[in-house]
Amino acid sequence: MYIVVIGAGRVGFFLVRALFNAGHEVFIVERNERRVDELVQQFGNVAIKGDGSEPIIQMAAGVARADILIATTGADEDNLAACQLAKHRFNVPKTVTLINSPEDERLFELLGVDVVVSSTQLLLGAIEEELPAHSKAHVLPVRGNREAATIEVSQGSPVIGQRLRSIDLPPDTYVLAVIGRDGSLKDINDNTTLELHDEVVAMTATDQAEALLEVLSAGR
Amino acid sequence: MNVIVMGCGRIGTQVATSLWRDGHRVTVLDTVPESFLSLPRELREMEGATIVCDGILEEELIAAGIQEADVFVAVSNRDNRNALAAQRAKHIFNVQNVVCRVGDLERQEMYNQLGLAAVSPTKITSALILEAVFP
Repeated sequence: MYIVVIGAGRVGFFLVRALFNAGHEVFIVERNERRVDELVQQFGNVAIKGDGSEPIIQMAAGVARADILIATTGADEDNLAACQLAKHRFNVPKTVTLINSPEDERLFELLGVDVVVSSTQLLLGAIEEELPAHSKAHVLPVRGNREAATIEVSQGSPVIGQRLRSIDLPPDTYVLAVIGRDGSLKDINDNTTLELHDEVVAMTATDQAEALLEVLSAGR
Repeated sequence: MNVIVMGCGRIGTQVATSLWRDGHRVTVLDTVPESFLSLPRELREMEGATIVCDGILEEELIAAGIQEADVFVAVSNRDNRNALAAQRAKHIFNVQNVVCRVGDLERQEMYNQLGLAAVSPTKITSALILEAVFP
């Protein structure tokens, strides 16, 4: 396939290398002359210096016959302009863009960019996967160095299927309510068991909140 | 009407000043605080009439009052910023009347075809020059 890449900063550079290795025909438009020289040294005569959102530059880069245009500059507005020009002036079937500001995802999709990759969203997603416990806990400070906490029993938690009474809670901790995944309140008695996605509402000492979180949620 | 003017260069100054003189409520955005010096003193000293920002982020536009704006004019010296901000104003904030400055002729036509009112100073100026040379 013929792929035109606009912007060869860090992301763009490695992307270009991967595309070449996968056997694609690649052409690069880059503003910075030194980067263009580096690209030419490494990959041959496949890069020009210029503003990838200018029609004359896209024409020179052969965007009219491209199967895909990928915009990876550091500025969302330049990426959008390059994609819109490629799509509406040169009829490129598929436009892909990297975005920095997560709010641009909705707008860019609305404006017809085919694939919108949000670097911030990707990073956040990766972090949340690593820390399931922290994304699911809500804490409210209460008088007397106490906290009221709502903690979700998350995937991989050791308390799933266990009786509430048999769970070793930190000192000064009282379970006030358990909300099932369907939103209904569970009766709290000797037979109450915890299930995945239950929410435990508990009162605990401020210095025990972390310990409580560790008991109820998946180990970190 | 409530008007937001993004970019306080020569065009932005002209547009903002004349709308303000006509009695509209005007908010002018620019990244360089000194550029507001070109506005009439009375306008630039009004509370909330000028904001230092580039105007392409949602939060900046909200702070500028985009949710109550009737008109959004993007006339900074950066075509791509104008196009992004104008399309955000139109499609995310549903501003009734959006106008955008795009220097490049081909892209100006493209945005017009996409339903975004775009004006090219290059096109207008060169037409006027030709008319002056060959009246």
